[in-house]
Amino acid sequence: MNKILLIIQREYLSRVKKKSFIIMTFLTPLIFAGFYALAIYFSIQGVKGTFNKIAVVNDNKTLTEKLTSKQNYGYTYVNKSLTAMKAELKKTDFDYILYLPEFPLDQPHGIQLLGTKQAGMALNNKVSDEIENLIRTQKLKENGISQQDLDKLISNVDIDTKKINENGQDEDSSAGASTILAFTSGVLMFLFIMMYGIQVMRGVIEEKTNRIIEVMISSVKPFQLMMGKILGIALVGLTQFILWIVLTISISTVVMKVFVDKKDIQQLTASTTVKGGKASVKEGTVQPKMENNAGEAIKADSPLKTIQKSMASLDVTKIITVFIFFFISGYLFYSSLYAAIGSAVDNETETQQFMMPVMLPLFLGYMLSLSVITNDPYGNMAFWLSMIPFTSPIAMMVRLPYGVPNWQLALSMALLVIGFIGTVWVASRIYRVGILMYGKKASFKEMIKWFTYKN
Amino acid sequence: MLSIKHIVKQYAAHRALDDVSLEIEKGKIFGLLGPNGAGKTSLIRIITQITAPDSGEVIFNGQRLNSDHISQIGYLPEERGLYKKMEIGEQVLYLARLKGLSTAEATRRVKYWFEKLEMGSWWNKKVEDLSKGMQQKVQFVATVLHNPELIILDEPFSGFDPVNADIIKNEILELNKQGATFIFSTHRMESVEELCDNIALIHRSKKILDGSVAEIKEQYRNNTYWVEYQGAYNTDLSADLFEVVQREEVKGKTILKVLLKEGRTANQLLAALLPVVAIHRLDEVIPTMNDIFIDQVKQKN
Repeated sequence: MNKILLIIQREYLSRVKKKSFIIMTFLTPLIFAGFYALAIYFSIQGVKGTFNKIAVVNDNKTLTEKLTSKQNYGYTYVNKSLTAMKAELKKTDFDYILYLPEFPLDQPHGIQLLGTKQAGMALNNKVSDEIENLIRTQKLKENGISQQDLDKLISNVDIDTKKINENGQDEDSSAGASTILAFTSGVLMFLFIMMYGIQVMRGVIEEKTNRIIEVMISSVKPFQLMMGKILGIALVGLTQFILWIVLTISISTVVMKVFVDKKDIQQLTASTTVKGGKASVKEGTVQPKMENNAGEAIKADSPLKTIQKSMASLDVTKIITVFIFFFISGYLFYSSLYAAIGSAVDNETETQQFMMPVMLPLFLGYMLSLSVITNDPYGNMAFWLSMIPFTSPIAMMVRLPYGVPNWQLALSMALLVIGFIGTVWVASRIYRVGILMYGKKASFKEMIKWFTYKN
Repeated sequence: MLSIKHIVKQYAAHRALDDVSLEIEKGKIFGLLGPNGAGKTSLIRIITQITAPDSGEVIFNGQRLNSDHISQIGYLPEERGLYKKMEIGEQVLYLARLKGLSTAEATRRVKYWFEKLEMGSWWNKKVEDLSKGMQQKVQFVATVLHNPELIILDEPFSGFDPVNADIIKNEILELNKQGATFIFSTHRMESVEELCDNIALIHRSKKILDGSVAEIKEQYRNNTYWVEYQGAYNTDLSADLFEVVQREEVKGKTILKVLLKEGRTANQLLAALLPVVAIHRLDEVIPTMNDIFIDQVKQKN
């Protein structure tokens, strides 16, 4: 036992001290945090940055309803002709001119949005939607429907996705957030298992090509050497994972504090709770004030809000714990197979033919998990993928944010544990023979023969 | 101290060791000889417990070989290497600790050996920065560091220059004097004659010869002598005394290799020659281990 600890210690320290490990560990969270900060920066910019002032030149006598200003653009009705306005546009602080010519309500033609710069698709669509609304309102009014009745007609629909838990209480959940989280943990699991599994294989090949294996094997049992290596590298993976989480959180916090001031965040949070509605912005008002909207705040989905909401509604601690469990078990399951491959070959180029059968289920699990499960997290396919040890580490992580019954989670864990005990056993039998074989071109047939050797 | 009893080891279709028995005495240097693929490495791997025999047993100091004995055996395999990226000092410490030494004890001994073999400045170097000979030295230290009772060296001198080979040879002799038993597997017969007390010759999975080097050589003496003289001697006159195996004339001297007839002695040879020629040299031809080795292997083929 003491010897396994020594081996674990060496395998761990020799990797953690490597420059590549240190760089990877510290750079990745910086990149994550960078993306996060960038995303926030841009959503703030999106809120406060682009306010368009639109001068409305109204030559229309039929359309008596007026356009109302919105979050990112304000309408100001001007008493000037289109030609005059066009000439003056550069001198005023208006960005666009909206020209409403005379038209019958049935045929609204000739409306123009002019500006020194071309109006974007989004603005164009919004303005045209609003004019359509305006025409509809006017038509309804002409048909004898009062403003009061019209107000009653307006209703905002926002679907709140909630999941009913086993106790019959509903929990907050968000389909979007679950998908993001499922995706992230699935990809991470796939990367971790593959990256560290291959490290195990490389380590075994290194010992073989360095010819230190026989020296080692005269001091320790092959099983001790194999498990020491596998466990040592598992600890490296865990260290990296935990450091990533800790660093990502702390760097993000620092970045948020330093680069994004509080007012912006409040504004952002507030703005995401506002959705159209009947903003009481008067004609001519340029900058809508937050207080005006606050009263009518309605929850809405924005990416940031979604993430924040998901963090609150999903049990992150549980997800991280389960992730660590499935990472260790899934890694043990696969890395022992990688160790067996490494023991059978003399150098890395020979690994190709053996890598395929090991990579395939992992890759399949990854592809199916991200496509099938995210679409139907409770279906049969999802269930089986998350039970079979070859695919369960990824599939279960993808299913988890959508909610998995505890018995399924327990069953999947138990099956995976049985699975990795099995692969470790098979691998150690191949390994003990393979590491001492040189120059023999290994094949599956050969490996089966090794497996059946008596000690 | 080590008895190998009727060891059989079968690899699929190939029988690597076929009923091999050996006795290795304490404090002796034992040479394990044989051509490539004879089964030497298989036997060593059984002694070092890398593999187990199919039948037969190994007795180490009166006990059946078990994992407790690992720390009492030092093994330098023919295929040897070190972790390339690891620092030398750290690496030797690691190997010593795997043999059961405490960190403090291991450090003390590594320092002692590094000093002794003038490797003190290598501590923080990486293996990949050392020459092959230097790596071999490190490996030798790692093999003997835990003061094993039994030291198994497989081709220990390969990769050494003559100076370093000599240093290592002296270390082997010194350790031997302190009581360590050696098993020495090699093709280099001159080192066998220099170092080994006993040998065993393994050929095609079987032991075909064993015993002390002196005895074996004695067995292989066959009354052949080198005679060098000046003058003319008609060898036909003493056809009942000896038979000329080889004849050479160098700078007026005659060099003969003669095989004495059954029952004849070197004295009789001298008596026949003395009155006629001036004798410069008389040598008994003692077969080298190399000759015996080749002879034995050829015979069995």
